[in-house]
Amino acid sequence: MPQIPIIMPQLGESIAEATIVNFSVQAGDTVEADQNVVEVETNKANLTVTSPCRGRVRQWLARVGESYPVGAVLGYLDATAEDAARVGLDTSGPAGAAAAADLNGKSEGGRPAQPPGVEPIVRGLPVPASAGGASYMSPRLKARMAELGLHAADLAGVAGSGAAGRVTVQDFERFVAGLETHRMTQASPMRVSVADAMRRSWTRPLASVGLPFCLDPILAHRKASHPKAAPTLYGLRALALALAENSAPAGRLVGQKIVHPKAIDIGWAVEVEDGVLVPVLRNADRFTLRELIPQYEALLEQARQRRLSPEATGGSIATVTNFGTFGLTWATPIPLPEQTLVLGMGAGRRVPHWSAEKHQFVPIMEANLTLSFDHRVLDGGAAGRLLTRVVHLLGHPERL
Amino acid sequence: MSVTYLEAIRAAQARALAEDPRVFIYGQDVGAFGGAFKATKNLAREFPGRVVDAPISEDAMVGLAVGAAIEGMRPIVEMQFADFSTAGFNQIVNQAATLFWRTEVPCPIVIRLPGGGTSGSGPFHSQSMESVYAHYPGLLVFTPATVEDAYSMLLEAVALDDPVIFCEHKLLYYHLKAERLPTEALPAGKARVTRPGRDLTIVAYSAMVHEALAAAAELQPEGWEIEVVDLRSVKPLDTDTVVASVARTGRLLCVGESWPWGGVTAEVLARVASEGFELLDAPPQRLNAKDTPIPFHPTLWAAHRPTARSIAAAARNLLRS
Repeated sequence: MPQIPIIMPQLGESIAEATIVNFSVQAGDTVEADQNVVEVETNKANLTVTSPCRGRVRQWLARVGESYPVGAVLGYLDATAEDAARVGLDTSGPAGAAAAADLNGKSEGGRPAQPPGVEPIVRGLPVPASAGGASYMSPRLKARMAELGLHAADLAGVAGSGAAGRVTVQDFERFVAGLETHRMTQASPMRVSVADAMRRSWTRPLASVGLPFCLDPILAHRKASHPKAAPTLYGLRALALALAENSAPAGRLVGQKIVHPKAIDIGWAVEVEDGVLVPVLRNADRFTLRELIPQYEALLEQARQRRLSPEATGGSIATVTNFGTFGLTWATPIPLPEQTLVLGMGAGRRVPHWSAEKHQFVPIMEANLTLSFDHRVLDGGAAGRLLTRVVHLLGHPERL
Repeated sequence: MSVTYLEAIRAAQARALAEDPRVFIYGQDVGAFGGAFKATKNLAREFPGRVVDAPISEDAMVGLAVGAAIEGMRPIVEMQFADFSTAGFNQIVNQAATLFWRTEVPCPIVIRLPGGGTSGSGPFHSQSMESVYAHYPGLLVFTPATVEDAYSMLLEAVALDDPVIFCEHKLLYYHLKAERLPTEALPAGKARVTRPGRDLTIVAYSAMVHEALAAAAELQPEGWEIEVVDLRSVKPLDTDTVVASVARTGRLLCVGESWPWGGVTAEVLARVASEGFELLDAPPQRLNAKDTPIPFHPTLWAAHRPTARSIAAAARNLLRS
């Protein structure tokens, strides 16, 4: 009985591979021609693979959760010669090998199938061999930039005259010569370090969402507390609790894997002269707001004195920044390059709030809470749910 | 009073014969007839017994020269056309090139190859052999582009203890002129910056130097300053001068009349890519004869080899990349 391969079909233009979601039929099951037998997921949609002809599933070679390129043999059907011939599948050659040459499982008009040629297996989209254009930097340009300690971002203001607008060495030298006419001062090591972090972070697609929330419960809680927690610490603790419930939004995307956080270590931004430092509260989900206060105050003081130990900074999974201290009500901060999330807190303002109970506007203190995130890892929905959860937690500061 | 490229070659041979009794010239019809291109005109009369006609066997010519060199002579072998040297290929690459390395007996012979294209000469009378011979260790390959170099480098070739393949370009024989013969010269193995520039380095040798200079002149009104480097000898190859030029300009176009496959231009690009990668602001380019046998028809021939026009076109593409 001929063996007919079930092949990953061409699922659309520019789709080179697909991941197996599940098998609708198992080995031994009987299937009709064009029956859905495999559900697959592509980067665009979930689609189905159909059986090439009537038969009985002999075996599946593919595995659920694995990705296979277009043309890969996923499994085999046992079919009668008549059934195979009816849909134009040739079965004269060695089972599988010959038939697999027809990647789309379509008829070759009854001609014997050609033996498969050597075809590159495409993993992902092809990249043009000559990736030219404005982003191309020649070896000489790279060498000159390295010599002068410049980065690609420094060339943003240079209009290239080369092919497709690339910056040639002549463009670059003119740019550098033009700078010489300006007054120049040395950037501080802190400034250079922040610039480096921001530049690396900005290589990712970043997005921000925001939500106003009522500050009154926090203000009341602060008034009654001794010692008092800084507003930033409320935000930090609420974010820690929310991420303890679900840490996935704080994961990082590396290649095709999500790297999940090991601990809920959260940092916060402290402005220092000519830059920002980010001390970190370790395991912020395991201590109450009140318990966190002494460590928060100690680290804050160390940061302001520029005496943070290496252990007190780095390795955090998210950062809180209270841009409200600058009187700002809205901002779109940039997460640290090794992080996916940054929670921003705006300045409080007294605003009219419609009270459903009183049927009138009442004054409340309101502030904006923003969440900037790496859009590769999470989308507006997930970011919105996380932010909503943080706002909800901030509504009950006594539980923090 | 002016002297042509061909007259300079004749004058160099006359001087070598006059100054060194070990020198003799051997080749087909080099004697009374004066050689296929008259490079030995009257030399047989001036130096009786030292300008000797050979049988029509390049194999025998080079074999005799190697034997004479072993016995302490310094022969100059004239091939009628560079193309015919392949008939003596075994003697050149297996005997002459390896002799010193096998026996420590030097092999001071010069093999003159009238090469390069002239219109209508076709596949057997137009070839450029420098890339082939440069492949073999033990051989030196000189490719003079000027009257002065033809004179001084031929004298140097005769004086050297290594076998030298001396590539003369037939297009230059009659038309290229100088006021007088030189009294001093760069040593062989040193390239010359023939024209200083800023935007692009064109490396060339032999007749292509003149095409490159014409291309540079064509590009000057467009605002481009082209630097032209004349390799002078393709082996040894003066990498330092080439890399230094690319350091100035950031762009390289190498032009050769021999075929592209594994040739001199490929070697120049390889050296610049490996030793001066960080100097390049654009991919290094080369321009060679088309990768086909050389056509007879003058129109096809003109399209087959690099010309000032095709060099300028390649340079424009490179300058805009």
